[in-house]
Amino acid sequence: MLNDSSRYKEILVKGIWTENPVAYQVLGICSALAVTVKMSTAIVMSLALTLVTAFSSMIISSMRKKIPSNIRIIAELAVIASLVIVTDEILKAFFYDISKQLSIFVGLIITNCIVLGRAEAFALANNPVDSFVDGIANGLGYSLILIAVAFLRELLGTGQFFGFSVIPNCIYDIGYQNMGLMVLAPGAFFIIGLLVWLKNSLSGISHEKR
Amino acid sequence: MSDKSQDKNSKKNVIIFAIILSIVCSLLITGAASGLKSLQQENMRLDKKINILKAANLIKNNQKPPKDVILKLYNDHIQEVFVDNTGKTIDKEISDALHLYFYKTDNKINGYILPINTRGLWGKIQGYLAFKNDGQTVSGFSVFSHAETPGLGGEIENAWFQKNFKGKKILNSQNKFVSVGIAKGKVKNLPKKIQDHYVDGISGATLTGQYLSEGIKSTLAKYEPVSISFRQKKLKAMDIHQNKE
Repeated sequence: MLNDSSRYKEILVKGIWTENPVAYQVLGICSALAVTVKMSTAIVMSLALTLVTAFSSMIISSMRKKIPSNIRIIAELAVIASLVIVTDEILKAFFYDISKQLSIFVGLIITNCIVLGRAEAFALANNPVDSFVDGIANGLGYSLILIAVAFLRELLGTGQFFGFSVIPNCIYDIGYQNMGLMVLAPGAFFIIGLLVWLKNSLSGISHEKR
Repeated sequence: MSDKSQDKNSKKNVIIFAIILSIVCSLLITGAASGLKSLQQENMRLDKKINILKAANLIKNNQKPPKDVILKLYNDHIQEVFVDNTGKTIDKEISDALHLYFYKTDNKINGYILPINTRGLWGKIQGYLAFKNDGQTVSGFSVFSHAETPGLGGEIENAWFQKNFKGKKILNSQNKFVSVGIAKGKVKNLPKKIQDHYVDGISGATLTGQYLSEGIKSTLAKYEPVSISFRQKKLKAMDIHQNKE
């Protein structure tokens, strides 16, 4: 039996790197396309998703002995959806500006496969604290890919970083142009594909080898 | 263990669990929604005021002054008015009255602000378009609610897009109404003589631009009587003042 801290470390490494939700499990791709045009939106989405995954996993895990298995998916979704809606209401009341920024992302969180995926794959079989750590780990793993994609898309697509122009004008004068493709959804597909390739060749784990 | 899991999955337990979960979830959501409603509505009202002030250029686009400053600016400079279809201000709302805001300093009207309410690609776009008191020059644009794709159509809420509206004309050189629209691409690539009626488009959000252009045009057409009154300098501060008394 592993002690607590090394078990948490293992869960974290698994979620963030070896079994990264986007690069390894290929979950949450839809939102990774939608919100990665700019760094700022990607970071807000990452933060929101990490928190929702962590808390929904924890709540579902604490009910895992009570949830009847034939309606478990509906029960999990009810918990996730309620949690997201309540969060949204609280944001609207106390952090109106942030809630305006999040706008459509809040809805996207409910439909994000990572949240349900972690509830199904981990929370139902583990204790609440482990599930919370697992939610954080997978949220961070998602964030890692999302922010990397957003960084590349914003830089290549608009020549900006957090909305500030970073590519000097002299490079444009030589003939450099922003890549229009990067602003559109297909640009995200290419980058995610390349990142999956990079990640799998770095860690030496791929679905093919198994 | 098998006894217990059998028990957990019995019809009775499934139904009880489903009912309890539904009740808890709906109570939670209802509680949050109704308990926080007044706070949310206050935020929304304040946000509307901020956007009216932004359209009128009374606050800068990236600024967020404290609440009392906003309310003071709003009370000092913005007046909600109703105008009939001949372009005269009227006392109270009649069925086809036009609803707008005057931007005034003391008793002088500096301009007027029209509410824009149009469909976008995914949902309604609500915002404000402000004009100078010549009845044809746009002085500002702001959006307070939309559901466009973040990063693409969602850019309509950002300063770089909104500031391009400033100084655009809704009349052409023959003084005919042409509205102001969102170009497909950059304005500098358009023929020179129509550049005054377009703002830079957003790449990847052609449809949002198209719907917003249509919405602005139909709104402006509806409010033409007001604009005409301003062009003919019929609307003066005293008009409203007398109406109020």
